Amino acid sequence: MKKIITAIRENIFTPWGIWLSFLGLVLLGALAAGITIFWKGLVITNLTNLVPWGLWITIDLSSIAVSAGAFSLCAGVYLFGLKRYAPIARTATFIGLIGYTMAMLALVLDIGRPDRFYKAMIFWNVHSLMWEVTMCVILYLTVLLFETMPIFASLEWLRSKFPRLARKMESVHHYAPVLAIIGLGLSSLHQSSLGAMYGVIKARPYLYKPEMAVLFMFSAIVGGISLTLLASMLSGRLTSRAKVNDILIERVAQFVGYLMIGYLYFRFWDWMASRYMHEPGRTEAYHLLTTGQLSFNFWIGEMILGALVPTFILLYRPARLSPFWRMLALAMIVGGVVAFRFDINIVGQLAVVSYLPGQPAISYTSYTPSLVEWASGMGIVAYGLLAFSLGVKYLRVVDHRLTDEEHEMVSVNSTEAVHA
Amino acid sequence: MTENNFNRRDFLKLSAIGVAVAAGTRAITQVEASDAQKGEHQWAMVIDQAKCTGCGYCTLACQAHNDVNPDIQWNKVLDAGEVNGKKVYLARPCMQCEHAPCVEVCPVGASYYRDDGIVMMDYNKCIGCRYCQVACPFDARSFNWEAFTEENPAVPEWGTPEVERRPRGVPEKCAFCYQRIDRGLELGLTPGVDADATPACVVACPTGARMFGGLNDHNSNVSQVLREHISYRLRENLGTGSRVYYLPVDDTVTEG
Repeated sequence: MKKIITAIRENIFTPWGIWLSFLGLVLLGALAAGITIFWKGLVITNLTNLVPWGLWITIDLSSIAVSAGAFSLCAGVYLFGLKRYAPIARTATFIGLIGYTMAMLALVLDIGRPDRFYKAMIFWNVHSLMWEVTMCVILYLTVLLFETMPIFASLEWLRSKFPRLARKMESVHHYAPVLAIIGLGLSSLHQSSLGAMYGVIKARPYLYKPEMAVLFMFSAIVGGISLTLLASMLSGRLTSRAKVNDILIERVAQFVGYLMIGYLYFRFWDWMASRYMHEPGRTEAYHLLTTGQLSFNFWIGEMILGALVPTFILLYRPARLSPFWRMLALAMIVGGVVAFRFDINIVGQLAVVSYLPGQPAISYTSYTPSLVEWASGMGIVAYGLLAFSLGVKYLRVVDHRLTDEEHEMVSVNSTEAVHA
Repeated sequence: MTENNFNRRDFLKLSAIGVAVAAGTRAITQVEASDAQKGEHQWAMVIDQAKCTGCGYCTLACQAHNDVNPDIQWNKVLDAGEVNGKKVYLARPCMQCEHAPCVEVCPVGASYYRDDGIVMMDYNKCIGCRYCQVACPFDARSFNWEAFTEENPAVPEWGTPEVERRPRGVPEKCAFCYQRIDRGLELGLTPGVDADATPACVVACPTGARMFGGLNDHNSNVSQVLREHISYRLRENLGTGSRVYYLPVDDTVTEG
């Protein structure tokens, strides 16, 4: 006990100690908020019957989106043979595991009966997109557990205490290509279905469109890869535990820049289609987004800072080569994806189409997250940051020096790796 | 090379057959499924807006018989403007849609169809995700944000509870007083004719603005009224196939 106290006293005023204490405080606040929510019920949130999905669902959608780096980079490394990016895929996989557990935490808070969470696995309505998303998320979380097993095997404590187990866990990386295929399949299914979940809602005209699936898929891929790169670069600057190969990151960042052009193309197409012709409910929601209460989020958060500026930075070589501008651009993309998920979740709910006969009347409702929603939601984010920080410190999650044999593809003798 | 082509062709053939078989079985099962949905009775409600005075007795009777929290209204009575200087109201129970968005989106199948067309909620299965609320075009679902533990102010004046209270954390909605229909049928009564077998809101209406009965029965009051009068349904353009019909105050207003 005394030892622990002196250890704490010695480390508390180091940057690491301050960072941990800060996250700990946020987590404590979240714990208090969480307990209050389970005790009092969702009545203490600002959710209503007209806006039943709020901040937590935004966190859920966003953390799943920014976890998409795992499947896209693993597919690149193990299926397209871009082997030298394997260390980045390793980081992405770990972020993926964190992101999906964050999403699960958000859902536990959000659903009215968290004690019945397991029923989602027993009772199947195969017609429901949410069923499909739930199934894929659970299965993909399992895949991620396998994919991150070699990472957990590098824990010093495990290596010394249970060397055989550690070796077993390490050997899972032989199956990386198989896991990458399963992961690609499951992720393609649920990342897009998450959008389709909104896209099938006939009652909310703004959401009722097929391109929701495409937009969710695309935004997830750019957001996921961007967060992976950003987290790697940040760790590389902040701690000596992380070793970053800037050439690798710079190449992937350029690729993200090109992907962003594709994303912008789809957003432009969606934007044009949304504003064309008057459709009750859809047009009103569109105005909320472009000129109403969400317009700052939309134009600044999603479009200018979230997409246009970072695309320019990532495709303009001198700017991309500067780590500062590159990191800024990647952070902007992640912020843009979160803003997109927030807006899309809320906008369809805010413009309410009346069911009264005659001229369809549109009424507006509002939603501002309550303090408990913020406190618990920030706790989920703090959990993610804590898990990643610990990963960087103890599991070498960001280490681009990892030797080849640690990422060797033993079972696959495919054609020569294509050099990117 | 030739062999290779053969294989590929064979493969394509086989897959084409596979897809056809899969599509065929799916089509067959779907036909069966929609047949199974058609029970002997197909309940429907007709609400005559010309007779509705907006008194709200229907809501109170509903809250008593279904033991509903006073903060929640399964049957809402809304102001629907004026026609020829007379106020018009619109009473809105659950529409019991034939293609109900809530049933389609529910991940666990807690919302489901009964053979007689009533859209039911299994309150023990529901996980409280609220997707059904987001998907319902009629705002017919209310979430239990907190537990209803107080005494029901509508009891006993407006009736006595016939169903269990719903727990905190699940959405609830009107189910055409299925408990009254089922008990009534067991006793040999006719829903829509005998008060004990008819939804509480219909029984409570002092002006007789509400009618209830089976669509399959050509002589039922709802079938007759729908044959003889112009009627409309809410948000008909969505194609959900609502089972609640409205008779407009002004016969010239028919758009839903």
